[in-house]
Amino acid sequence: MDDAKKAFCYVHVDEELCGGCLHDVKACPTRAIRMKEGRPVIWEGRCIGCGECIRLCPAGAVKAATSELESVNEDQISVALVSPVLYSQFPGTMPKEVLTGLRQVGFRHTVDMSYFLEMFQCAAEEFIVRNRKTGEFPFPLISPVCPVVVRLIAVLFPSLLPHILPIMRPVALMVREVKRQISLKYKGKEDSVTLYYINPCPTKMDSDRMTFHHERPYIDRALGINDVYAELTRQLEKPGKPDHPDIFDYKPTENSLIWGISGGEIIDMHIRRTLAVSGLEETIAYLEKIELGLFRDVEYIEFRTCPEGCVGGTLTAVDKYLAKNIIRKTFRKGDIGRRVSRDNIHQLYEEGRFSAKSSLAKLAVTFGVRNTPLSIEDLMKIDELLEQIHGMDCAVCGAPDCRTFAEDVIRGKASLGDCLVLQARGMKRDA
Amino acid sequence: MAALRKTFRINKKDFIHAGEASISVKNLLKSLHVDTKLIRCVSVCGYEGEMNVVMHGGEGILSVEIDREKVILEISDDGPGIENIDLAMQEGFSTATEEQREMGFGAGMGLPNMKRNSDHMTVESEKEKGTQIRMSFSMADEKGE
Repeated sequence: MDDAKKAFCYVHVDEELCGGCLHDVKACPTRAIRMKEGRPVIWEGRCIGCGECIRLCPAGAVKAATSELESVNEDQISVALVSPVLYSQFPGTMPKEVLTGLRQVGFRHTVDMSYFLEMFQCAAEEFIVRNRKTGEFPFPLISPVCPVVVRLIAVLFPSLLPHILPIMRPVALMVREVKRQISLKYKGKEDSVTLYYINPCPTKMDSDRMTFHHERPYIDRALGINDVYAELTRQLEKPGKPDHPDIFDYKPTENSLIWGISGGEIIDMHIRRTLAVSGLEETIAYLEKIELGLFRDVEYIEFRTCPEGCVGGTLTAVDKYLAKNIIRKTFRKGDIGRRVSRDNIHQLYEEGRFSAKSSLAKLAVTFGVRNTPLSIEDLMKIDELLEQIHGMDCAVCGAPDCRTFAEDVIRGKASLGDCLVLQARGMKRDA
Repeated sequence: MAALRKTFRINKKDFIHAGEASISVKNLLKSLHVDTKLIRCVSVCGYEGEMNVVMHGGEGILSVEIDREKVILEISDDGPGIENIDLAMQEGFSTATEEQREMGFGAGMGLPNMKRNSDHMTVESEKEKGTQIRMSFSMADEKGE
């Protein structure tokens, strides 16, 4: 696939590796993949970048669209923004050492996200407490931190959009601050700065920026943790690394490390009625329930579509249970508590510096109505077709299940002749 | 006018699958791109109705009729029936068992919630014969919530 095309998808398929199985078609939560002539075709407008296809492809043919680590050396000033999940990949190595290692890999600066996670947490608490009084937003409020959850809601559960906590995500808070500092340090040279985000999720690149996040400011490039893992391991194994402090020296905290595990976001929140749910299937099941009116007595729900939380991210390098263990051990060594000043946060909150309302509204439009609505007559025809097919969701037609196939036929995207069951019963093509 | 009709079974005491009929109805309405507030109302009513059947009723049926102007939801069961409908419509009134309350149900908000979320609702019940609840929802967006 050429680079330009790759740039617009969260995932792409390496056709040479693809064995034409149907795992990805069936696994896709938004039913965005169809098998056409033995090759998966991804309907990118519906892809939310959950990475489930990457996880399940037995041939390893589905790949995330991320940048290449090599480009770091071509950049004039490269800045690595680090998701704390990265630390969980290196047993016995403290976060500070991981950051030093990254600078040896070639990044000019490294920024740890911990401080901004705390900031987010404070702002989120403030919002929830205020919302108890105003009732402006419906409970349960849903964490905006996992970008896949936010997109999943926009595509499959639009009625839950008002439940998403309208506070800027930690990564956006981080980028805003880093950009501010860059313009102070590199006055006039801002254009030669490239921001990399090292994280465990598939990421989508727009023509010139990353749209992994629904809010501004944007990041320039994204790397999967697995993209940097090998090189970083090599650097960390080298003895006697010199350590010069970085201008963006925010010390990682215990709190941030635990964020990689499901429940880590809420464990230290000063909010009592919270829940943490992880895994794609579970997330969908709970969103269905919220839509049915359940969990109204819960104030805040942390969803992570990856199993066990971000340590189970598609682009991690180390097994999720090992990573959990590493976090717990590192966690015990550290001794840093919360450093964010609550008063400062309140001040910024009052100034509206955390609000993500407009970006969420934009996201709803981008991901919302991508599908033309069906009519009541269409639904009736789909039912008739389903009765005719009377299949068992074999997916040989290339659609994940019979219902989706029938819908594709009605929408003119598939032909009845593609159904093996109908063929076997002697139906004529294009009946 | 074309109307889509569907029925779903609600199994006695089946807490695990309770809600699935409402989810199916919800998905039908979503593919029609019906207003999200209306979807929410229909889903909430469907679920409350399903739970009532699972908790109190016997075997039940949820049926839905959708046309361009309205959605009609009907939930019927062959359970013990409601002795005093007026009383049952009051917020907080509940005949749920202790066990059911421990599971988080039985706050006595089911029927009142259904009433509040539908445009029109009728309840018919006969002792030892069962209960039939019919709710209608107008497609025109003029709901209170």
